[in-house]
Amino acid sequence: MGGEPVRFEALYRETYGRITAYAARRCHSPQDAADVVAETFAIAWRRMGEVPEGERAILWLYGVARRVLANHYRVEGRRQALSVELDAEMADLYQAAPDSGVELTAIAQIFRALPDTDRELLSLIAWEGLDRQQIASVLGMSRNAVRIRLHRARRRFARALAEAGVHVTSHGRLAPAEGHL
Amino acid sequence: MRNIDDIDEITRALARVEPGKPGGRASDAGARKLLAAIVAEQPGPSGVRPRPRPRPVRRLVLGLAGAGLLAVGVVVGPSLLKEGGTPSYAVTKEPDGVVYVRIRDFRDKAGLAKRLKELDVPATVDYVPPGQWCREPRGTPVRDIPRGLYSVPESILGEEHGPGWQMRIDTKLFKPGQTFVWTISDHRTSTILMSGPVAPCVLVPHTSREPKVGTSDYRLATLKGRSLAGFRVDEKTVGEVLPELKRRGFKVEYLIMAVAPDNPGGFGELRTQTKPVGDDWIVWEAEESVRDSGLIRLLVTGKRFDRNPVYGGPRDDVIKE
Repeated sequence: MGGEPVRFEALYRETYGRITAYAARRCHSPQDAADVVAETFAIAWRRMGEVPEGERAILWLYGVARRVLANHYRVEGRRQALSVELDAEMADLYQAAPDSGVELTAIAQIFRALPDTDRELLSLIAWEGLDRQQIASVLGMSRNAVRIRLHRARRRFARALAEAGVHVTSHGRLAPAEGHL
Repeated sequence: MRNIDDIDEITRALARVEPGKPGGRASDAGARKLLAAIVAEQPGPSGVRPRPRPRPVRRLVLGLAGAGLLAVGVVVGPSLLKEGGTPSYAVTKEPDGVVYVRIRDFRDKAGLAKRLKELDVPATVDYVPPGQWCREPRGTPVRDIPRGLYSVPESILGEEHGPGWQMRIDTKLFKPGQTFVWTISDHRTSTILMSGPVAPCVLVPHTSREPKVGTSDYRLATLKGRSLAGFRVDEKTVGEVLPELKRRGFKVEYLIMAVAPDNPGGFGELRTQTKPVGDDWIVWEAEESVRDSGLIRLLVTGKRFDRNPVYGGPRDDVIKE
C-alpha cells in the first residue's frame, strides 16, 4: 500500500515534461495549460490503480488530459486550486508564439477550425510523435478507425489550406531559422 | 493534395512546444509543489488497489502541501474527528487582532462557530459525514488573499503525533463581506476564503466532487460539425428551444445545474433527468450524447442569472467560431 505514492512520483517525473507539452500545445493560455496539467495528474493520483504499467502509462495520461481539456470550458473563470503554482512556469512556454508570421497565423487559424477529432489525430502524430497503434489507445478507437480518420483528417486539412489559398512551397518558410526544425 | 509528409510538417510547425521537447521539468519549483499537493490528497475510491489509510505521520506533509495552495485559500488538513472524544477546541485572541485556533477534537461545530463569531472571525463551519461533501460551488473564492491572513494548520507543540492542529488567523486582514468556509470531514479539512454570500452546506455523495472526465458521455452540441451546429440555445428559455429540438427529432434530457449565489462562473451538477422542466427554465448550453446521436442534454437552471454560468459570461467570449 505504501508503494502508491512512490509509484505515482515515478510516473510524475517520467511524464511531466510530455504532459506539460501536450497541454501547452493545445491551450490558449498558460493558466488553462496549468489547470489541465494539475487536473490530469490529480486524476491519475486518484486512479492509480487503473494506470497501466510501462510505456502505456503516458498513453493513458494523454487520454485523461484530452478529456480534461474537453471539459475544461466548464471551469472557465473558476481556477483550479492546485494549478496556480504552475502558472509562471507555463507562461515561459508561451513567450514565443509558435504561429507568429503571417503565413503561420493563417495556417493556425485553418487548423483550429478543423473538427476536434481531426485536430487531435494530426496533433498526436505531429506533436506527440505517436504511431497509429498508440493513438488508437489514447482515443479508444480501433487501429483501423485511426487509419481511416487520419487519412480523412489530412485530406480535410489539405483541402482547407488549398481553399484558403495558403501555399506553402518549402519547409524552410514554415520554420524560420530559430524555429521548429 | 499535398502529400502526407507535407501535412504533418505543416502541423509540426504549429506546435507551441517543439515536437520531441518537454514542456516543463518535474524538478521545477512549481512542479514539485504540485506533486506534493496532489500526493497530500486522498486517492479516490475508484482505484483497484487498496486505498491507503490516512496515517497521522502524513499530517505535517499535508500542512506543507497546504502552503502551496494558500494562494486560492484551500488547505487540506488533518483529521479532526475522533469517535468518542469530547469537545475540545480553543480559540484565543491577542490584543493585536491575531486569533489562534487550536482544535484537538471536533464534535461541537456550533460551539466552535459561536466562539469564532465572538472573536470577530467571520466563519462558517460544517462537519460532513464520511463519504459525503457539501455541494459545490457554494460561493466565490477570494483569489487575492493577503499575505499573513492565516497560517497553514500545523501540529500542536508537544503533540506532534496527536490528531489536533492549530492555526493563526489575523482578523485585521479580513475585508468586509469575506467569510472563512471550513468543511471538515474525518480525514480532510478544506478552508476556503470566500467573498459575498455563501450557500448553506447541502450534503451530497463525495464522489460527485470528482471531475466527470472519466465517464464523459456528453460533449458540446452547438459547435461547428456537431448535431446542433448553427442553432444557439444559450440564454434562451426551454420553451423557446424545445420546439426546434423536437422538429429535428431529438430526444431531450436535462442537466439541472447548481450555481453559487454570486454566480462566479462554473457550476455543479445536481442531476440529469428526462422528466421535463418548466418552459420558463433557462437553457445555458446544449450537449450531445457520445453514445446516442439522437439525444440532446440541455444545461438548465430554474431561474435566470445575470451571466451564463457555463462560460462565466457570454458564450461568444469563450467560443469563437
